[in-house]
Amino acid sequence: MGKAIGIDLGTTNSVVAVMEGGKPTVIINSEGNRLTPSVVGFTAAGERLVGQLAKRQAVLNPENTISSAKRFIGRRFSEVQAEIKNVPYQVVAGTDDAVRFLVMGKQYPPEEVSAIVLRRLVEDAAKYLGEKITDAVITVPAYFNDAQRQATQDAGKIAGLNVLRIINEPTAAALAYGLDKKGNETILVFDLGGGTFDVSVLDVGDGIFEVHSTAGDTHLGGDDFDKRLVDWIAEEFLRDHAIDLRKDRQSLQRLSEAAEKAKIELSGALETNINLPFVTANTSGPKHLEMKLSRAKFDQLTSDLVERCKGPVERALADAKIQASQLDEVILVGGSTRIPAVQTLVRRLTGGKEPNQSVNPDEVVAIGAAIQAGVLAGEVKGVVLLDVTPLSLGLETLGGVMTKLIERNTTIPARKAETFSTAEDNQTAVDVHALQGERELARDNRTLGHFRLEGIKAARRGAAQVEVTFDIDANGVLTVTAKDKETGKEQKITVAGSTQLPKEEIERMVKDAQAHVEDDKRRRDEVSARNGADAIAYEVEKQIRDLGDKVPANEKARAEQLITQIRELVKNESTDVPRMRESTSDLQQLAHALAAADPRKGSASAAHAGGPNSAPQAAAEEVIDAEFKQTK
Amino acid sequence: MSSSDINGKTIVDVPPIQQSEIDLVREQLRSEHDMYLRSLADFDNYRRRMERDVAGAVDRGKRSLILGFLEVVDSFDRALLQVGNAATPLVEGLAAVHRKTLALLEAQGVTPYHSVGETFNPALHEAVASVPSTQHPPGVVADELRRGYKIGDTVLRPAHVRVSQQP
Repeated sequence: MGKAIGIDLGTTNSVVAVMEGGKPTVIINSEGNRLTPSVVGFTAAGERLVGQLAKRQAVLNPENTISSAKRFIGRRFSEVQAEIKNVPYQVVAGTDDAVRFLVMGKQYPPEEVSAIVLRRLVEDAAKYLGEKITDAVITVPAYFNDAQRQATQDAGKIAGLNVLRIINEPTAAALAYGLDKKGNETILVFDLGGGTFDVSVLDVGDGIFEVHSTAGDTHLGGDDFDKRLVDWIAEEFLRDHAIDLRKDRQSLQRLSEAAEKAKIELSGALETNINLPFVTANTSGPKHLEMKLSRAKFDQLTSDLVERCKGPVERALADAKIQASQLDEVILVGGSTRIPAVQTLVRRLTGGKEPNQSVNPDEVVAIGAAIQAGVLAGEVKGVVLLDVTPLSLGLETLGGVMTKLIERNTTIPARKAETFSTAEDNQTAVDVHALQGERELARDNRTLGHFRLEGIKAARRGAAQVEVTFDIDANGVLTVTAKDKETGKEQKITVAGSTQLPKEEIERMVKDAQAHVEDDKRRRDEVSARNGADAIAYEVEKQIRDLGDKVPANEKARAEQLITQIRELVKNESTDVPRMRESTSDLQQLAHALAAADPRKGSASAAHAGGPNSAPQAAAEEVIDAEFKQTK
Repeated sequence: MSSSDINGKTIVDVPPIQQSEIDLVREQLRSEHDMYLRSLADFDNYRRRMERDVAGAVDRGKRSLILGFLEVVDSFDRALLQVGNAATPLVEGLAAVHRKTLALLEAQGVTPYHSVGETFNPALHEAVASVPSTQHPPGVVADELRRGYKIGDTVLRPAHVRVSQQP
């Protein structure tokens, strides 16, 4: 079996998602969108257009463009009389009171039309993933009866799918939030989409979901909010200019788009500007529409729509025989739940509970379906939740700074190694000081552990190669190992619980680092400048020793003067970065001059002077000078 | 448990109860290995897709900006429609700004396409209305209300059109 996908086959829009590497991903369709309109257009030329393309010709071909097939699937003709009034295409009765769409003389059952949509979704998914797709989980509203569920499954079959399961939309939403892992919970799912509103109360225990009640309004959604705005804007304009923008198709189109955009902007901002230059014209010239809309005004215009959400929530709670206070979780589904007034209402009706909305409300059902598909396809044996290390890990290096090896929020298990060296000549042991935190200086971070590695061969500083490895396993147990590459000697420590700091502590440390970012950067620069200056001083000293008599007297004097200066600055832990940098570059130039002047060792010293072991511009290099202290 | 040495190899007779444990562990190992391979494969596929996507991301970012900019260009189109061909400096200035915007778009590979007189094609056109027309045969775009643009060969924004009605 290849990959199994999760499909949210919606009334207005459909979404497809799949599990990849243990995480659900929404699939992008062939038009580059994450949502596919659930619309099929049958053209005179015999084409079957799906999605956006079908919508684009809907106005020309209303009797043969089927949208909202979901309102008819699995139902009897006698049940859908009210729905028929709302659609421009013909709906007739087939045998046994079945519902049929009459399109260009032929009769189509709703499942066949849905199958056309499904087939397109599957094709696009296969293209996106680069592999054939045969298995899927499809979601349906919790209130769907057996006939509706069967018909949806049939639609899948007609589309060539092996339907692994039909699951309820609110259940899928709960899965997306991992609520099946949380023991016994009572959940309310509030689903306000483009055209429909559904409330469900579920129970989950031992990973099994049970729907206790459903309620809703089959004709309440974001489209109603848009229409309210369009009407208000048009009325204002009518009052000012005696022109009804709704009468002209073009200006109505622009108005509708602007209204939708304004609604979306008001979910974030308190005020928005609706600006349509040259929206229309009459004998006295062009007319422009420009008006401000505040969130307060929008809320006022749509308050009755928001209030209509109240009844179903109360009914659902009553039918489930629970009080709002007994709810453990509330989930928001559907784009319209982004409207602040809606969120306020939900909080009010659920006893002040903070609803779950971190997963995109337009996609949460598809994501839950994908998770279920993954489980059924045997890919996911219980969702594997990977931990992260909450704070950066590293060790103390020359100058008392912390050199990070593993960045915070790195997914674990993780492993990082870097090579360090000695700070002094003839240093035979290194002290490894393992740290956790975000500050630049070692002393401002949390110590995880200390150990020393001995037996390093005495050599000039920077010669030894000590590889330090930080290794965190899936349980958050950190092992820090130091190994002398030359002798093969190794020491290590193990630290448990480094990923289990209390949340407040983590936040405090991160905030602390942010507050000190300027200070810390300055200190780091100082240390870096000192280290660099010290390194070049050491190099040039060596150069002079090696060259002996060959060093011109004045250059030797100049060099010694600079070296003394630098040594003084370093000893006093100078913070005069510009001065140190200047001395460093002066000395560097001298080093080059000396190297150039020496015909014997010319290229070797030049390389040495500028090589990784001594480059003063320390920051990112392979071998880092580490202040590993000597035994005292 | 008995054991015997043959050529330095130790053969151990394993009692049945331990055999079933071994089988269980083998099965678990096989299962874990399988999941590991799936993860690797997923990662590989993901990485390949990310490489594709990154290339697309810059495009998408540009796209978003350009689509917004097109609305401004639309306003210029409408303005010029209103003022017609009056030869005043203001009108000339407007027309010049308009040309500048088109040049800017072209530099990004964005070009307008012509719709009036073309057979209606939902890939290129979004029908806002159907209208009676004596000029155009049925099913042909009679009127353009909003210009369509392509970026390279792909449609960036379909044109809003009025299509000649079937009689």
